[in-house]
Amino acid sequence: MKYMIMMFGGLGAATQDRSPDWIAGMHQLLMKLDTELKESGECLASEALADPGQAKTVRFTGGAPVPTDGPFAEIKESLVGYWIVEADEERALQIASAVVGYTEYPMEVRRIMDHSSQP
Amino acid sequence: MTGQPRAEDLLREIAPQVLGVLVRRYGQFDACEDAVQEALLAAVVQWPAEGIPDRPRAWLLTVAGRALVDGWRADSARRHRETAVALDPAGPVPAADRGDTDPPGGPPGADRDDTLTLVFLCCHPALSPPSQLALTLRAVGGLTTAEIAAAFLVPVATIAKRIGRAKQRIREAGARFELPAEPEAAERLGVVLHVLYLIFNEGYTASSGPALQRADLTAEAIRLARLLYRLLPGQGEVAGLLALMLLTDARRAARTDTGGRAVPLAEQNRALWDAAAIAEGQALLAKTLGAGPVGPYQLQAAIAALHDEAPTAEQTDWPQILALYDILAAVAPGPMVTLSRAVALAMVHGPRAGLALLGTLDTDARMAHTHRLEAVRAHLLEQAGDAAAARRSYLRAAAMTASLPEQRYLVLRAARLDQP
Repeated sequence: MKYMIMMFGGLGAATQDRSPDWIAGMHQLLMKLDTELKESGECLASEALADPGQAKTVRFTGGAPVPTDGPFAEIKESLVGYWIVEADEERALQIASAVVGYTEYPMEVRRIMDHSSQP
Repeated sequence: MTGQPRAEDLLREIAPQVLGVLVRRYGQFDACEDAVQEALLAAVVQWPAEGIPDRPRAWLLTVAGRALVDGWRADSARRHRETAVALDPAGPVPAADRGDTDPPGGPPGADRDDTLTLVFLCCHPALSPPSQLALTLRAVGGLTTAEIAAAFLVPVATIAKRIGRAKQRIREAGARFELPAEPEAAERLGVVLHVLYLIFNEGYTASSGPALQRADLTAEAIRLARLLYRLLPGQGEVAGLLALMLLTDARRAARTDTGGRAVPLAEQNRALWDAAAIAEGQALLAKTLGAGPVGPYQLQAAIAALHDEAPTAEQTDWPQILALYDILAAVAPGPMVTLSRAVALAMVHGPRAGLALLGTLDTDARMAHTHRLEAVRAHLLEQAGDAAAARRSYLRAAAMTASLPEQRYLVLRAARLDQP
């Protein structure tokens, strides 16, 4: 089974009013976890996205697609990074919990669809 | 003698020479380049297992020659070839191994020109910069498509397509395998130098990915710049570019901390700088500066040398650096030069002077998509004691950058200003 573990929020969302030590600790936690998941072979892909404030959204406006500045969701609800892991749900939730336990900011865990027709 | 060169180094050394010989003999850069790539792949498999052949160049030439002929055979099965080239496919490639016993350090006579011609062809102005980079790394650098893809962190198919398109463009542009004539030559050399500079920068400040620098690309750029310098020792800007790369790369070990975070120049542990690379860069500059017209690469190298020579950040000769930026701004004006000049100006005349110069860039469209303007402004505002404005600028810069290590650094700088 594959799961996507998603992180949200712009730069300010999780780090608002946090100390430099706290932020450095978060960077360390994320990098360490990323390395561990890659070394264990559980992580199939992981990427960080640029700040949602830099996003553009294409909307169908006035009969044509028009790009406008800003993300689709609110900045604090915008995707900023993800892991795709080969794991069962319990393990995926455990990984997300390791991050949320530190950041106190929510993460989403969602199953990735299979391409095969196996039930 | 220091023993056998590594198979990989040797291959990269002779790959462009072999390609040059083939293209000179048969034309068809496109097919010849494919053939050499095939021969390189064969060598990568066979040499480590069976040992480096006695005459590696002749070996590579023979295998590439066969691959070329095999390609023609497959081709002619499909359609009639208009250019019938008589070749004994199994036989030795005639007169192929000239210079094969020469030390790998200096390609002789005709090969020398061939490699140079090859560099110019790969950096043909009809190609987009990403194509120029990929093709140069493969045809001149002797890297495999997979290695190039790994260096740029993109799928192999992307690089393969990019190289295929590049060769098609070269064919369409009717480019010939010869050195450009004089009025054009200087301009074309400028493109070549820019391509090497881009390869270096791609490695030094990785524009994407978790690592701030990718040493393999910087090393390859330096190797190619060395090659070019050997071929064109009299060109001041070639020496300047090589010196700039050496003097900049010398700081590599100090640029990131153990956590992979960026360390700014002023806070770097200078004991970690590569003294040998600095000495080599300085020597190159000493030989070059004043010998001819001074160009932007020489000036940037001279500035890098002043940083490298300072025992501490405080002892940096900022007035001299500012003077060099003044010349650079006259010789090669541009927003990035203005940005660097603003830093030097701030160091000599105070942060407010630097900030004023930065203000002239606010309306520059070329700066709209880089975080560097805001990052420099943040530093100068912090120096000027305006913590609140500095913090805003750091966060703006952090939001704009696509480099993860730089973003982490900028967020930390901003957070530090929150502290009482």
